[in-house]
Amino acid sequence: MGPFIEIISKPDNIAIVVMILMVLFFTAWAFLQAFRNDASRKNGELIEGEGNGKVDTWKPLVRIELIVALVVFIGLTFWSLVVDAPLEELANPTLTPNPAKAPWYFLGLQEMLVYFDPWIAGVVLPTLIIIGLIAIPYIDINPKGNGYYTFSERKWAILIFCFGFLFLWILLIVIGVFFRGPGWLWFWPWEEWDHHRVVYEGTADLTNLVGIDSRSGWGFFIGGGVVTMYYALGMILPYVYWRKKKPEFLENLGMVPYVTVTFLFWTMLALPIKMFLRLVLMVKYVWVTPWFNI
Amino acid sequence: MKKGSAYTPYLFAFLSLLLLGLAGWVIWKDEVQLRPWKAYQQEYKELKGAKLQAEYDVAKKEFDGNGNAEKLEALQARLQAAEEIFQSRGVQEKYTGLVGQLDIIEASLAQNQKKLQETRGKYLEAEYLYIRGQKEQDKEVMQQLQGEIEGLTENRNVLLERKSALQEDIGELTNESEAIRAEIRSLHKGLDEKLMAIESNDRMSLEIRQIHIRDAGKADRCITCHAGIESSYRLSDRQPLTRHPAGFIFLENHPVSEHGCTFCHQGQGRATTSPDKAHGWVDHWTEPMHQGSMTQSSCISCHGDIEGLRGAEFISKGSKLIKKYGCYGCHMIPGYEDLREVGPVLAEVGTKINYSWAVSWLQDPKTYYETARMPKFYLSKEEAESIADYLFSMTGTTRRDTLYADEDIDWDLAEKGKAIWRQSRCNICHTTNGKGGNHTEIHAPDLSKVGSKVTREWLFNWIKDPKKYFPETKMPRYRFSDQELAALVEYIVSEFQDWDFEPEYEDPVPMKAESIEKGKALVQKYGCFGCHKVKGMEEMQDIAPQLRRAGVTFAGSGEMEEKIGAELSSIGSKPVELLDFGKVKDKIPHDRLSYVKQKLRAPRSFRDDLRMPDYRLGEEELGSISSVLLGFTDASRPARFVVPSYAEIEELEGGTDSHILSGDFEKLERDIKCLNCHKIGNHGYNYAPDLSVAGSKLQEEWLRRFLKQPDIIRPMLKQMPRFNLDKQDGMIQGNLESSEIETVMNFFRSDLVTDDIPAFLPDLYDGAVDQVLEGKRLYDEKGCVACHQIGNAGGSVGPNLSNVGGRLTAGFIFKYLEDPQRYNPQNVEPKYGFTERERIYLARYLMSLKLE
Repeated sequence: MGPFIEIISKPDNIAIVVMILMVLFFTAWAFLQAFRNDASRKNGELIEGEGNGKVDTWKPLVRIELIVALVVFIGLTFWSLVVDAPLEELANPTLTPNPAKAPWYFLGLQEMLVYFDPWIAGVVLPTLIIIGLIAIPYIDINPKGNGYYTFSERKWAILIFCFGFLFLWILLIVIGVFFRGPGWLWFWPWEEWDHHRVVYEGTADLTNLVGIDSRSGWGFFIGGGVVTMYYALGMILPYVYWRKKKPEFLENLGMVPYVTVTFLFWTMLALPIKMFLRLVLMVKYVWVTPWFNI
Repeated sequence: MKKGSAYTPYLFAFLSLLLLGLAGWVIWKDEVQLRPWKAYQQEYKELKGAKLQAEYDVAKKEFDGNGNAEKLEALQARLQAAEEIFQSRGVQEKYTGLVGQLDIIEASLAQNQKKLQETRGKYLEAEYLYIRGQKEQDKEVMQQLQGEIEGLTENRNVLLERKSALQEDIGELTNESEAIRAEIRSLHKGLDEKLMAIESNDRMSLEIRQIHIRDAGKADRCITCHAGIESSYRLSDRQPLTRHPAGFIFLENHPVSEHGCTFCHQGQGRATTSPDKAHGWVDHWTEPMHQGSMTQSSCISCHGDIEGLRGAEFISKGSKLIKKYGCYGCHMIPGYEDLREVGPVLAEVGTKINYSWAVSWLQDPKTYYETARMPKFYLSKEEAESIADYLFSMTGTTRRDTLYADEDIDWDLAEKGKAIWRQSRCNICHTTNGKGGNHTEIHAPDLSKVGSKVTREWLFNWIKDPKKYFPETKMPRYRFSDQELAALVEYIVSEFQDWDFEPEYEDPVPMKAESIEKGKALVQKYGCFGCHKVKGMEEMQDIAPQLRRAGVTFAGSGEMEEKIGAELSSIGSKPVELLDFGKVKDKIPHDRLSYVKQKLRAPRSFRDDLRMPDYRLGEEELGSISSVLLGFTDASRPARFVVPSYAEIEELEGGTDSHILSGDFEKLERDIKCLNCHKIGNHGYNYAPDLSVAGSKLQEEWLRRFLKQPDIIRPMLKQMPRFNLDKQDGMIQGNLESSEIETVMNFFRSDLVTDDIPAFLPDLYDGAVDQVLEGKRLYDEKGCVACHQIGNAGGSVGPNLSNVGGRLTAGFIFKYLEDPQRYNPQNVEPKYGFTERERIYLARYLMSLKLE
């Protein structure tokens, strides 16, 4: 456990430890409130904030904000007094630090580099994340939950968001910070970060597993086919399902938002799928093209 | 929310107070905690103040005691009288009037000055416009302004004249009292200066002080805490306020203002917030401060030659050890590239040594003799036998031992041999049974048990002509007759036996081919050719990469550079995380020094398949070697710091080595190895006198006589050996053949001379003074007798001077007395600072000392 305590107490990592605690606390808090509200609604009680959906700015909000500002200010001042800015070794152009880590808030992106090639993980996926966040107001047509906590009224939205944020963003940051050591190798918390550690990982492309060279024409078509089928089925099957069960939902949403939502959703899910393929089945790429690899 | 409004004011008040407290903490931390140097500087200031005050008190007491008080009183009385006259009505009125006039003139002068400045400004502007535009009107303006300036200057001169006249008038009134005041001041001068020193010390503010060495890229703030480091007196014995130790070596040659601190000491020169940070004892600081003797490793950054460098004794020792053990055979070490292998040639060992001896030697050389330089390779008996088989297969096909029992020995012959052994001074270089081996730098083998190691035949041939067997050997060739040789060999074989030696192959046993092959592979694996020229592997040493390409693989061959071991030319800069601590990673601290020391202490402790052998070094030995190795860094240093090595200077100056031996003398030297003991230029050893300027230093007749028959002027094992023996009775007859003496004389006269030493003493005409007597008086006065002996009186630190007039040239004595370290930096004689006249006297006196 020694190495683990050393890692979490590094000045660099205090922010991440605080972040983990805060994310856990606020997630729990939000769900608690949501479940409480849902229970109240079941009992026919009025939920604060529902209805008019408004609270006074002065004094309630400003007062809270002022106190929060004070607490944050005190916290930051105290922190800066107790912990010095963590300096690392002098920059040396001939010697790259190992591990070379991105700023902590980008470590999720860096972790994706293990599973995708730089073009996908570094450019396409971050762009899609931003586009997806921008698109939320246009594709989220559910007006419920404004000004109050609720779970039962927006189950899917909350679950998908929690999955994307907590697992694919926060968890990857935590992995990047605490579990990735020299050589970007996986180190358990009780293992020392050994610069000289050697790990052999034999990975292969998906088609190579069935004996077809991923760089051949057949390999290209099969890989491309798998990816295309993934998205095509991912869009068609839910459509068929909802057509039958909830045609009015599809009508309200419209065709373009539907395609956007499903595309973004399956792209998001592609990450855990690829992680599974890479970590468990030792698959390097599904589809190898001269321009990018998936 | 209702509840909230009730406790909000209290929460707010609490948080505000907390913030206020934090603000106080911020100020305390910034002013006190992060400025620990303030306390040090304050303490130093107080110590210095107390010292200055004490000095002042002493001076004051002295001043009062010398009757100065009365003098002062008289002067005060005179001053009062003069002041009274000055204060009298008439004088005072006149004075006030004059001062009033002076004020008016001063005001006019100020006005004039201002006007002049303005006009000059306008003139310059007009000039600029005229030069740019070439317009007539600008030129007119220029001329007009020029006129104005002239008028103003004239006016100014008039005013200045009047001013000085007035000042003179005023002076007449005040001169007397001013003169008395000046007298009082001069009486007080010494005390006033001391008072001023106290005041300036009191005024000194506490602040961060820094030395910026631009071209070294250093900004060192060490003197912020180490306030007294350059001080000429010691105020405290405690860090950080002490003086620099041995400042006369280090600071005198490397002034702090030019070299800074971290250039030699390392550490984080810019840090001032805590001692640990400043000394670089924090994570990620790649150059933590060197401690103790380890600091010397920085000398290597600039100094080409570290052996013999004053203040660098520790690394000097390390450098000698690197040469002794031949580390450069397997590792590329800068500055040790062109040295010869430390071990003998392995070509005909099968004819030289006993097989069983070879096997036990290979397994552990120290069982044969304690000072063996060859390291232990941790070979199994089988492996050692394979290697021995490979080496013996070069000259034969059997494993065999030859032993000499008592009945084989011709004891009469051996008795004769003993005399030859003594006369030849073999013990100067070779140790036998704990005796001799005084010339430690030559590393001649211990011969205590050599009779069990080598064969008679080989020994005979070896002493007869050592170079035939080992061309680069340091062993001189003695000119023994065959009978003398036989006697000497008989003595060595009979006297120096290992009674514990257990031969296994007194009856020869044929070797097996696979064992020979295995032996060859082992020789390649462990790189025996790093230290020995191995027959058939002559080229392996420096062509390791080719070897690798040819398919010869070693464990860990990836790290193989030019040589079999890792390159060490920047080991002092290697990042700690790149050092593989392997199996000892939990046992030793993770820093460069610990790593290198561990590597030398137990080379195989890091991993199982390592090849580096164990030299079994003592802690001090491995410390000094480590400090040399850690001096090889990537750090750049300004060209002005560099002190080139002797060899580099020679290369710069002439392109060739001016002390390279040539002609007949070179042949003679190769034969009897003069440079094993003597030094010429940068070649040879310091065991016997330096001969670089011997041609100018020694008188010809003396030298000739000495070469014929060396005098007994030194203790037994410092005496020059005789290389020739008398044919009849083995008594000493002469040293060198007469033709050889001429060769030496010629070389001394032509090559070992310097224009620096005059052929004659400068003429000195000082009438009736007896210069010899005057010299004797100086000799007695300066206490030369404490170290030198003349006749039977005197000390024995320096050479006996009884016959110095018959040995040295007057010119040499004359130059030598000016600076005894001039021709030999290791000389212990102090510099007395004689004048030229005194040196001539002394030289004349010493030249008069002759023995017939």
